[in-house]
Amino acid sequence: MHRIRRLSVALAVTGALGVAAPAAANASALVTISGATSSYPLVALLAAKYNKLHPNKIRFKITQGGTTVGLNDVKAGSVTIADVAQEPTSADAGLDFYPIAKYAICVVTNKSNPVSNLTTAQITSIFTGKTKEWGSALGATATGPIDVFTRTSVAGVLTSFKSLLLEGKSVVSSATEEATEGLMRQAVESTPSGIGFLSNYQANKGGLNVVSVGGVACNQTTAAAGQYPGVSVFWEVTKGPATGAAAAFIHWIDSSAAAKKIIASQWVVIPPS
Amino acid sequence: MSTPETGPASSWLWSWRDVRPAPGKGGGPGRGRRSSPLSWRWGDRLVLVLAWLVGGLLCLIAGSIVVYMGVRGIEYLSPSVIFSHPTIAENGATSGGFLDPLLGTMLLTVIGIVLALPLGLVCATWLVEYGRPAWLARVVESSIEIVAGTPDIVIAIFGLALFQVRLLAPLSVTAEGGGVFGRSFIAAGALMSLLALPPIYTASRDGLQGVPSHMREAAFALGKTRITTIRRVLVPNVRSNIATGAVLGISRMIGSTAIVLILLGGFGRFEPQGAMPAIGLLRGTGSSLTSYVYYNSPAGEGVAPQKAYAAAFVLLIFVLALNLIVERIGRSQARAAGLAKSTPGS
Amino acid sequence: MALLERLKRPWPDHRAERMLGAVSLLVGVAIIAMVVFVVTRAWPIFQHNGISWLTGGASLEQEFARMSAASASPTAADYQLRAWPLIYGTLITTVMAVVLGLIVGLLASIFIVELAPARVSRAVIPMVRLLASIPSVVYGLIGILVLVPYVGNHLVTEHERRAMQGTVQLTGAGLGVTVVILTVMITPIMIALICEALVAVPSSWREGAVALGLNPLRAVRAVTLPAIRPAIVAAAVLATARALGEAVMIQMVSGGKSFAPRPGDGITFLWEPLRTLASAIVDYREGLASPPLKAAIYSFALLLLFAAFAMSISGYLVKLPLRKYQTRG
Repeated sequence: MHRIRRLSVALAVTGALGVAAPAAANASALVTISGATSSYPLVALLAAKYNKLHPNKIRFKITQGGTTVGLNDVKAGSVTIADVAQEPTSADAGLDFYPIAKYAICVVTNKSNPVSNLTTAQITSIFTGKTKEWGSALGATATGPIDVFTRTSVAGVLTSFKSLLLEGKSVVSSATEEATEGLMRQAVESTPSGIGFLSNYQANKGGLNVVSVGGVACNQTTAAAGQYPGVSVFWEVTKGPATGAAAAFIHWIDSSAAAKKIIASQWVVIPPS
Repeated sequence: MSTPETGPASSWLWSWRDVRPAPGKGGGPGRGRRSSPLSWRWGDRLVLVLAWLVGGLLCLIAGSIVVYMGVRGIEYLSPSVIFSHPTIAENGATSGGFLDPLLGTMLLTVIGIVLALPLGLVCATWLVEYGRPAWLARVVESSIEIVAGTPDIVIAIFGLALFQVRLLAPLSVTAEGGGVFGRSFIAAGALMSLLALPPIYTASRDGLQGVPSHMREAAFALGKTRITTIRRVLVPNVRSNIATGAVLGISRMIGSTAIVLILLGGFGRFEPQGAMPAIGLLRGTGSSLTSYVYYNSPAGEGVAPQKAYAAAFVLLIFVLALNLIVERIGRSQARAAGLAKSTPGS
Repeated sequence: MALLERLKRPWPDHRAERMLGAVSLLVGVAIIAMVVFVVTRAWPIFQHNGISWLTGGASLEQEFARMSAASASPTAADYQLRAWPLIYGTLITTVMAVVLGLIVGLLASIFIVELAPARVSRAVIPMVRLLASIPSVVYGLIGILVLVPYVGNHLVTEHERRAMQGTVQLTGAGLGVTVVILTVMITPIMIALICEALVAVPSSWREGAVALGLNPLRAVRAVTLPAIRPAIVAAAVLATARALGEAVMIQMVSGGKSFAPRPGDGITFLWEPLRTLASAIVDYREGLASPPLKAAIYSFALLLLFAAFAMSISGYLVKLPLRKYQTRG
């Protein structure tokens, strides 16, 4: 009697678990993606749209970790695609880089410190630690020491930022390193004397003061028009040419109108060359 | 709670309700003609004030945490939030719920308890009822103490190393290049059971040790074997102890973040692997309430602190409910013990 | 089917004993497996650095950067690690939190058991239980959203910030907030153990002291406290083990900079960011694809494991000579 009851309960639970599993359990191909935190919102949106338009074709597993982590993962074969936010270097031989969107790197300060404009020279001198104090010389209302925030070394945005807006120099060693864009955002939002850099998607969410560089505002429009100096590219990187499901996804991003619409909402579509 | 406590703290914290005996019985320190603090020296009076301050401070901290979480959590919480899935939308800060993380927490807890309860019960039973050879008994006892004292993060890292072994590849997903992912519900649940093991073991052991020997002797006199006595007589007798241990274990598992961050590998929804429905879910990744709070806090993505507050509030409610359950079990246990004492020979 | 029948019959005791014993042995096997796995994966760090990876001297951030960038076939230079700032961070947060927690816990326990009216005690105890069971991520959330901004905006002065500029930035996330929250997390454990021991002291001892003219507080100090010394030691050991292993909360509020806070800096000491072994594991948990970083993470875990073992053993050893003070049940 007890045994039958126990067995039936066990069966019911297993059955319930099985029924509760989403229908996507039948998807065939698995695409694992890791890498940049700056392109994660875009890639996640694209993957979701792809699944909506072509259901049960590909299952995506997207993690982050930073551009370098993604590159290492794809080199080691742990993931199919790496999200990369910096230009390919000589160390990336054997990897295929597919551009999917352009983004702008914005310099941001706290809302209480509305710096409207900085030149590249000023940005370089602030982030390398030469300029240590806020003041009217920088057009800042804040006074006191500058708190510089940067990204950890695995971030592609950092590499791009250094080459585009920092004249190739390194950020001062005393700067606080943040692991993700979200952390960078929170850091600058909560530190009145803070300054940092973010992709335009994060920077323009509100809550931060976005600094114009050389008179040009940092947003999607100026980036698309090519006026803003700090524009870099999001790449999808595979080991060797992309094949199978990864190739289908990347090709879809390249060609489909739905994908273009998503990219155009916050980022810059790469014109077909 | 995600504390690596050994037995004494975890069971005592919950079983010790009547620290102060009831008034009027003449027990307790200084009852009757208690020396008034006004007659004490200054140093002692200072300590008295400090003690009151500390007591008040603790209550204040506990109360303010709950109230603050409640106030901030209620802002975002609503039935739709609890029952909708996390979204990956543009306005991710103000949309989407945490149904998947909620279910993920429950699933992990179920897996953890399913693994820990038999193991803890078997260990406790073996130790109390058999316990030979003596060196093995010491090994088992020390092992469980070591498991209790190991930091959560080390357990999590060990779990990652364990489940990335090729042999255990079926229990999670394997990437194209051959790297075993090593992160799945099974992995996280299995290691979570290690968290719940010490409380269950200690509670069962204390319960079994507390069973009066005349029960065993009566069963033996009736011709039962030891194992049958354990199954039919002793274990049902210590049901409330086991329940206390299980609830403490669940409380510990619910609060563990390190294991989920490292071994569950997901951000929002369930991502099952493979074609089979239930097994696919277990092999897949997902999230739990704790990792959801973490990723929505500034330490993760940082864009939605209100979601983090809402999920944290739900976590607090769970924890409070579990505390109440343990208290209730403890109270009924004491009542039963009181009854047994008042009617000797029953 | 015959086998099933045979299994369903009540087992003879010796078979049951062996089965149960075998299952119980699984736990011991798990411990050994844990040690073996962690040691083998941490070995490359010892191989390339010897024992000197425990010292300091180099920039840990640069070493982490080099490790993260290392490819699948790393050079020996990629393995260089000088992890002293992490060890120091772990030690200092743990020691400060345990010392603070002991004081607070002792006062609170004496308050609950001896000094407060029964009604107040009965109200305080559930509060203590609540504090013990709040998940660490909730503590971290409050820390990072409430305490860190408060410290950063209201307690850190410009003068202090300027003084530290060039070395490290003071944003509020640092030693002070970490120690405060850690203390709140570990105090309930200590309160539980110490209260349990206080209650176990025979009341006749205390009543004797009161009869001799001591007030209740002095009676506690003279009579009860010496009697519960093993419990205080046990509480300290347990709290240390808990503090050592706290990873997520510390990662959220400690500032994430591999810097060793300098006590000589005065009050700035409390505002300086740091990193502990456990929080470094959480920070770099995604970087396991790079072999040197993986080895480094496992070596931190190995240190924590050793520390946990050492805690258990030392607690046992310290309690041995104190056994003569233990009250008889």
